[in-house]
Order: sequence, then C-alpha cells, then structure tokens
Amino acid sequence: MKSILKSLAKLSLAATLAGVFAHSAATAEPLEIGLLTPSPLADVGWSKALADGLDKVKAKHGDKVKINLVENIQEGPDAERIMNKMVGDGNKFLVLGSFGYMNGGLKLAKRNPNLSFVHASGYKVAKNFSPFTAKYFEGAYLMGMAAAELTKTKKLGVVSAFAIPELISTINGFALGARSIDPEITVDVVWINSWFDPAKARDSAKALIAGGSDVLFSNAQDTPSVVSVAEEAGVYVYNLNSSMKEYAPKKYLGVVKTDWAPFFMASVEAHLAGKFKGQNQWLGMKEDTVVVEDWSSDISADMMAKIKATEAAIASGEKHVYDGPLVNQEGKEVVAAGKRLVDGAILGMNWHVQGVNSPLPK
Amino acid sequence: MHIKFERRIEYSKKVLLAVPVITIGLSILVSSILLTILGKSVPLTMYSFFIAPFENFYSITEIFLKFGPLLLIAQALAVGFRAKVWNIGAEGQMIMGAVAASAVPVYLVESTSIFLLPAMLALGALGGMGWAAIAAFLRTRFNANEILVTLMLTSIALQILYYLLLGPWKDPMGFNFPQSVMFQDEALFTPLFQGTRLNTSIIIPILFTIAVWIFMEKRFGGFKLEVGGLAPNAATYAGFSAKGAVWSSLLLAGFAAGLAGMSEVAGPIAQLQRSITSGYGYSAIIVAYLGALHPLGIIFAAFFLAVIQIGGDVALVSADVPISAVHVFQGLLLVFYLATYTFVNYRLRIHRPGVLQSAKVSS
Repeated sequence: MKSILKSLAKLSLAATLAGVFAHSAATAEPLEIGLLTPSPLADVGWSKALADGLDKVKAKHGDKVKINLVENIQEGPDAERIMNKMVGDGNKFLVLGSFGYMNGGLKLAKRNPNLSFVHASGYKVAKNFSPFTAKYFEGAYLMGMAAAELTKTKKLGVVSAFAIPELISTINGFALGARSIDPEITVDVVWINSWFDPAKARDSAKALIAGGSDVLFSNAQDTPSVVSVAEEAGVYVYNLNSSMKEYAPKKYLGVVKTDWAPFFMASVEAHLAGKFKGQNQWLGMKEDTVVVEDWSSDISADMMAKIKATEAAIASGEKHVYDGPLVNQEGKEVVAAGKRLVDGAILGMNWHVQGVNSPLPK
Repeated sequence: MHIKFERRIEYSKKVLLAVPVITIGLSILVSSILLTILGKSVPLTMYSFFIAPFENFYSITEIFLKFGPLLLIAQALAVGFRAKVWNIGAEGQMIMGAVAASAVPVYLVESTSIFLLPAMLALGALGGMGWAAIAAFLRTRFNANEILVTLMLTSIALQILYYLLLGPWKDPMGFNFPQSVMFQDEALFTPLFQGTRLNTSIIIPILFTIAVWIFMEKRFGGFKLEVGGLAPNAATYAGFSAKGAVWSSLLLAGFAAGLAGMSEVAGPIAQLQRSITSGYGYSAIIVAYLGALHPLGIIFAAFFLAVIQIGGDVALVSADVPISAVHVFQGLLLVFYLATYTFVNYRLRIHRPGVLQSAKVSS
C-alpha cells in the first residue's frame, strides 16, 4: 500500500511539473488573449457575447491566437490581482469585460506598455487602453417602435442594472422610439443595481407587469430571468447582447444583439501589427456592432417596413436617435428641432426623456 | 451495537494539535474528489493553491496584503468568541469603517494635509465601533440575539454604502458610475515596495495581535472577559460585568474591522466602491476557529487562508478552476474543523451489546 501511495505521489508531482512546463512553453508561440467577465459564461447574455466575439477572432486566426477565459470575477480589489496573474501567465491582449475593472486595468496597462487592453463601458483612455461601448440606443429605438404597436396598456417596463449613461441612453432610445409611433406611451424603470441577480430581476419584472406594463425590456441583465417571467405572464419582452428567444418562444420581441467580432478583430490585428492605439470606441449599427434580429412575427408587415427603413436611416447616419426636438422629464426642451445632441452629452447622459415615469436614482 | 459520544474529563491535547492537520487533509481530499468530477487536474490545482502563490515576489506581497485584514479581524473576533459573544457581522463593521474613513477624502478632495490619514484611521475605527455598538446595546438592553443583529446589520451597512455611491458620494466626474472619487496620495498608505499593493497598513494587524496576546494571555482582563461570557452569574458574583464582556467584545471587533475596512479603501482600492471587503469579515470567522481562538494559532490560520485565497485566484486563471471551487474549499475547512474539534472534548464510544453482556456475567 505504501509503495502505491509513493508512486502515486511521484506520478502527481511529475504531472504537475509537466503541466507547468507545458504551460510556459506554450506562451512563447501564439498571441494569448485574456477575457475577464463579471458574470458566468452562460449560454446567453453579456459575457457570452464577448466570448462569441473572441471565438470569431480565433476562427479567423487559428493557431496564431489563444483565448483564455476567466469568468465570474467580482468587480473589486481581487480583480486587479487576477488581471495581474493573467498578464503574468502570458496574456498580451486583454479584454476587460466590466466597467469595475477600469482603475485596476488602467494601472496594469501603464505598467505594461507592450500589452493592449480593451475595456467595456468605461471612460478612461491610455495609449494602450481603449474603452468600448455599444450604441444600444439605436437598437432600442427600433424595439420601441415595435413595442408601440403591440402594447395595449401603453405602458412599457424596464428592468435595468446601473444608472450609468450607457443604460440611461438605451432606455431613452426605447422611449423615443415608442413615442415616435404613439406619444401617449410611458415607460417605467426599476433599477436593481446588479448585472446578474436572477431573483431580483424576476421580482422586478413581476412588479412591472403588476403595474400594467405589457412589454418588458431586460436592460443589461445577464440572466434570462426577465425574459422567462414575461413569457409566463404573456407579455412581450426583449433584451440586449445575445438572443434569449428560447426562454420566451411565444412572446419574444427580438434582440438588440452586440457583435463584438468586428471590433475585436480590428483591435487584435492592430496589436499584432504593433499599431494598437488606445481610443474611445463607440460602436453602433454603422460598425455592425449593434444588430437587431429575431423579430417577433406578431409585428405587422407595415410596422416592420417602417422599422427596416428607420434601421437603414440610422445605420447610414441620415437619422440619429437623439435628433431634436428632445424634451426631458421635467418638460424642458433640451435639444431644439433640427439640432442633434452632441456625442459627449449622450456618453455622459444623466437625464431621462419625457415619457419615462421613473426618476433616476439619486 | 450503538455509538455514543462521551465527554472527556479533560480535553485531549493530542487531538487539539491534530485538528488543523486533519481538517486541512480532509478538505484537500474532498476537494480533490470534486475537482476530479469537474474534470480538472488535481495536481495542477493543488500546485496553484499551495505553491504558485510563493513563486514570485509580487504574489508573496499579495499574500501579506490579504493576511493583514484577516489577521486583524480574526484576532478581535476570537476574543469575542472566547467570551461566547457571537459577532458574525464583522463584514458590516468593516464596511462602516471604510465608509466613515472615506468621508475624509470625499469631502476634502483638494486637501494634501498630513492629517488626512490619521483622521481616516480614527474615523475608520469609530465607524466600525459605532456599528458594533448597535448590536451591543440591543443585546445588553433588550437581550436581542447578537448573531441575528450583527448579520442583519451587515445588509444594512451594504445598503448605506450603495446609497452613498449612487447619490451624495458619487464621483461628479465619474459618468454616474457608482464609485467615489479616487483618493489623493495623502489619503493612502505608502506602498512598501515599488509596484506592489502591500503597504504600511500591515503594521496595524501586527501591533493589534501583540496587544491582544498580552491582554488575553497575560492580563486579568482577559480572564474576566471569558468568565463574563461563559458564566454570567459567576461573573456577577465575582464582581465582573457580564454586560461588560458583551460591550468590550463587540467594540473590539468593531474597532478592528473598522480599521481593516479603512485599510482597504486607503490601500489597494484607493476609492470607495461597491465591493470593498473581499469577504474578509466572513473569512475571519474561519480564521479565528482554525487558529483555535488563540492569538498565535490565528497568525498561522490567517496566513494559511491568505495563501489559499491567492492560490484560488491562481487556480482560476492557470488551472481553469471556477471561483466557486475556492469558496467550497474554504467552506470545507470550516465544516471539517467543527466536526473534528468535537473530538477534543468528546470521545467516541462504541458499545457492543455482546461485550456488555459478558461484562455483566463476569461481575
């Protein structure tokens, strides 16, 4: 017995060493790309969309790149050490999948000028550190048009993560789209202050339905909770990032999908060519990042034609969601007719348009 | 045949020493089985857990960065646990310490005064103590169970933190993100080594450990505290205060946890944000017990837990082990500790009916 144990111990030691050597040998060859996400890499949602984007990079570049995924990391002091370890393990291109990784990631970027970083939802830029954000409001506007046709109560409900400009501007886009069809429509918002809290998301969705909303929007929720509650209750629903149709086969309005592949591809290729340059990346329909699909068949052909025309106008830049006249919740005109809200004001948006009932959390 | 636990007349020293070894051994064994089921490499994971944290200097400084708050809080909790005051809300006291300390740099954004850090230390300690005092008051005045009160106060502390970050303390230039301004250098501890996060705050847990050790082992005060918790009536007869045991246990824990929270926001985080505790308030409970509630034992336990937490991060990145595996491992430690610790005071007696009968006959 003792000798068996001994040989087992030897074997495991050998395996350990082999593993370690194999690991360090492998780092010399391909470009290692590390992805850090705040929620589990489930079948759907934000983290999944990021991983999908990198999959396409892998598909194109094959053995030249290697993707390392580290999922479900809380946005706190430990994240910085984990990023550090990822760099230490040989990752040369990092995708930081949440705004809370910003300060730690930026420190790391400054210490490692030869590495490239892309960072989701943030606002700080460095030579080798690019924040990236999607213009979700472009897709949400189209969803608002569809919702306006299908709602009977004229009340739309949103379960939303954090009151950051990215999400606020998305809700405003939704409200503007709906009210472009029917100005009587109003929007209720519940802020749950979490990207991933299935129980809270469920409860909030139920509360919105009880309050009369008959189209729901799951805003930046990395769980299909809101979507499945809507299906059970028989109200329409849509979400961001990746399709959750399988959770609401009957009542799925569609998805405002993010396809990060074009952006990741360009960034990785820039890094490989030694030409990566940190800059604010704000990506929408024009860049093929925001893609709306899986449209519900309950939408009439007339409305669908209208939506498609608007989509083309937004993608070409002929129309902008934040074209005036824009009126805020207090009824004050913010942008006059014929004017367009400047980019900076959308990136830092901290007010709701008229028609959104709920105040912003203060 | 039936099995019975029999109380030992005197606790077994041999078992007491064996407890940590058996605990760690069983935890490794069970998590190895779980890892195998998950299809992960056990040797690589164990290597990541226990050896990789020592592989480079940065990683070693990170161990001590975690060691500090774990040691600080666990020492204070152990004093309370020995007096049978079950404060499991160190997490909340830590949050309130961090919040109170952050008031200084949040309101004095422009200040470069050398008094920023001392003021934050004082407010951090007071914040933690103030939060713990609520539980002490409710316990001594209304006999409210401090386990429930401290635990629930943690949820309230978290909500206060979230409120401040979404509202009055939000960085005005931070695009509505729920976090405060970055603190100025004068409001931060100085790093001990260039490029690391380990800073001068490490001195606090060390001084605190020495103080607790002297108090508990060498002074009459420690004895009074224990009697007050163990036998309130006896304490009253002897002229010690049972209420005093509750108050001093909780205030001590609040003091330590508050300082730990302050050291986090004035250290590696450098701002107030939503997650600041890294779960130290809960992990410290495991540390206190794993260290057998003894000041010296706690030093080793805190170091051990710091290593496996850093090791857990390594395993996550290098061995592709999910973060929950780290939490399971910590949970196993506590469960096996409690299970094996029973044998310090009890022994297992197996009664076989046959044996008993023959014994009767012979008598």
